[in-house]
Amino acid sequence: MTRLLAHAITRRATGGPEAGIRGRPLEQIAAGELGLWATIWDGEPTLSRDDAFAHHDLVAVLCDAGPCLPVRFGTWLADAEAARRSLEAEQDRYVAAVDRLADRREIAVTLLWQDAPRTEGRGHAVAPSGRAFLERRRAANAVTDERRKAGEAFAARLAADLAVDQADVRHESCPSAEVALSMSLLAGRDEADALKARATVAAGAINGVRAVVSGPWPPYSFTEELGNGRG
Amino acid sequence: MTGPLAALPDEELSVLDLADRLLNRGVVITGEATISVAGVDLIYLGLNVILAATESIAQLEARKK
Repeated sequence: MTRLLAHAITRRATGGPEAGIRGRPLEQIAAGELGLWATIWDGEPTLSRDDAFAHHDLVAVLCDAGPCLPVRFGTWLADAEAARRSLEAEQDRYVAAVDRLADRREIAVTLLWQDAPRTEGRGHAVAPSGRAFLERRRAANAVTDERRKAGEAFAARLAADLAVDQADVRHESCPSAEVALSMSLLAGRDEADALKARATVAAGAINGVRAVVSGPWPPYSFTEELGNGRG
Repeated sequence: MTGPLAALPDEELSVLDLADRLLNRGVVITGEATISVAGVDLIYLGLNVILAATESIAQLEARKK
């Protein structure tokens, strides 16, 4: 059975590579002003970790060629007609988003707690009493609240230090026990490296966390109004 | 730092960060599209699944012994 694995939406005039994931054919399915880039996929729709990064490489090439919207990895369409109908149904919103993101790139800032709590195992040698369980849960919640506030403070500090527009920032505090902050910053392609350098300095100055600054990447985190549901 | 991410170099953490974005963000096409990553090996795929991944690694190592 043949399916399409979607990668990105661009203006229909935008060029792109000839091959998709695993060397399979890549096609641009046009509808109105837009084109959806997809790998033509014969056989079982199972994907690997390497496929995820191959998708990223492909999206990056497409974004270098012109304004583009990255599509979430693992998005399948039955055929070109289904792709066309999906593009046509949201044409105005997609066009506006392509124009808004234009040639912009994403810089990722992740702060890891230097004293992250060790995650407990699933089982206990001796089952805790009800009271002990409740006390443990209350203490864990208090730590979580405190850490979440700290994560929010880190986000506010970074946004202020970097003087970025609020519309160009997305963040999530404490997405996991070890991560204090996951932040995404939007910058023009030509300014992205400079923003990354400034973010590295600003994040590195925050005490109690290890900072990892990554990118520039396609603007994965700035498509939430188009259904990614996060930000 | 005491968690499983502590031992990873910055480069690997960046890869995990990218994987999170590939799996959780980007345009969700409405209409006739479906999202499925069935078959993807989740080991070290992203920061948010690292705990599950670490368990998987521990289980694999336990099985080898």
